[in-house]
Amino acid sequence: MIQGSSTFIHVGQIHIDKAPYAISTVLGSCVAICIYDSQLGIGGMNHYLLPFWNGHGLQTPKFGNISIPKLIESMQEKGSRIETMEAKIFGGASMHISASENMMIGQKNIIVAKEILKEYRIPIVAEDVGGEQGRKIQFNLEKGKVLLKYTSKQ
Amino acid sequence: MMKQGSTQKNLEDEVAFLSKKILELNKRLIGSEKAKSRFLSLVTSELNNPMTVLVGMVPHLQLHVCEKNEKIYPMVNQEVLNLDFKIKNLVMTARIESGDLDVSYALVDPLDIIDEVTESLKYIIEEKKIHLHVNNQINKKIVADPQIIYTIARNLISNACLYGTMSSAVEIIIRKENSIFIISVKNYGDGPKLQNKPEIFKRFSDGPDGEHGLGIGLSIVRALCERFDGTVDFSVDNGIVTFVASLSLDEEKVNSKAYGSNEFLFESFDDAIEI
Repeated sequence: MIQGSSTFIHVGQIHIDKAPYAISTVLGSCVAICIYDSQLGIGGMNHYLLPFWNGHGLQTPKFGNISIPKLIESMQEKGSRIETMEAKIFGGASMHISASENMMIGQKNIIVAKEILKEYRIPIVAEDVGGEQGRKIQFNLEKGKVLLKYTSKQ
Repeated sequence: MMKQGSTQKNLEDEVAFLSKKILELNKRLIGSEKAKSRFLSLVTSELNNPMTVLVGMVPHLQLHVCEKNEKIYPMVNQEVLNLDFKIKNLVMTARIESGDLDVSYALVDPLDIIDEVTESLKYIIEEKKIHLHVNNQINKKIVADPQIIYTIARNLISNACLYGTMSSAVEIIIRKENSIFIISVKNYGDGPKLQNKPEIFKRFSDGPDGEHGLGIGLSIVRALCERFDGTVDFSVDNGIVTFVASLSLDEEKVNSKAYGSNEFLFESFDDAIEI
């Protein structure tokens, strides 16, 4: 149970907060990365739709390779250091359509998360990714724990 | 069965391999754009404050307009409004790109917003003798972020006035279908070529006649619409150009300071898995 309020984030949003607050979102094939700094008690979450920015339009954080570095930079701006960050990744489901139809977006979103975190040397301490069910998550910034519920299959 | 499993595995390996390749290539692309974005952000923040002062002060000069300078005042005011609009677009771009687009919901009358937009465009409307028709089919207040609705409307109406032919009409229709807010803006003129459609909503694309605006207006409109599960598109038919933008409204938000996806927030997490 969280003591403070919970901020809900949409696709393309990044939110950084500290205890006792929480950050929450709902995911299908999208991926959310929760980064926690236990020393400062701050955490951040992003929520991206597609793995790569295609070079067109704005570089919005709805693309994984824009959103993840921005999430990390935002944590650093709050005083967090890479060495004290830990990541948890969620989402990337294949939703209701065949693999060929969805072009494995969920899968690619997961790959991008893992690759970029590896590059920054941020350890992934937990993950719940893939599958065919959507997820609701709430990132509790008191201890950096994430509450997860699967959305019911249609 | 085994063969099918191995094909799936191969496919996944290939996707992983290609994704890593794309990520690597994309990194260079982002790098080349980064300098541009940073420059824009810096310029934006440097310009925004003096611009706010100018916009506030210039109308006071009208008190001192005399015969000698009666033409100068509207010219200065027009340019100030124009510059203010361009800077606001840059600020919005920076906000969207930073992922820091805080949404402030309020009960707003969309017609008030359209009036505000047309007031800011009064000089070009006058200069081009544009006949502006506003068809408001909503007739009540909606729950939305007024700044976002203003930005979308301002960009679409400004383009229609700018690219519309002299002494022609610009028609604005605002309506609501279920919980979707729709604004369509119609002008008479050549308009963008349909084959250039993918280019039109990109950042820094050229105007329809090769004229250069900042080239970010429509990319902002698209990003804002998509942020609210909407779309923006245009059609050209016999010299009539129609842009239609839509975005979802969440009518419940005004009642709550918390995010309004109440079904989610107030649902118990008691039986959730803790990770």
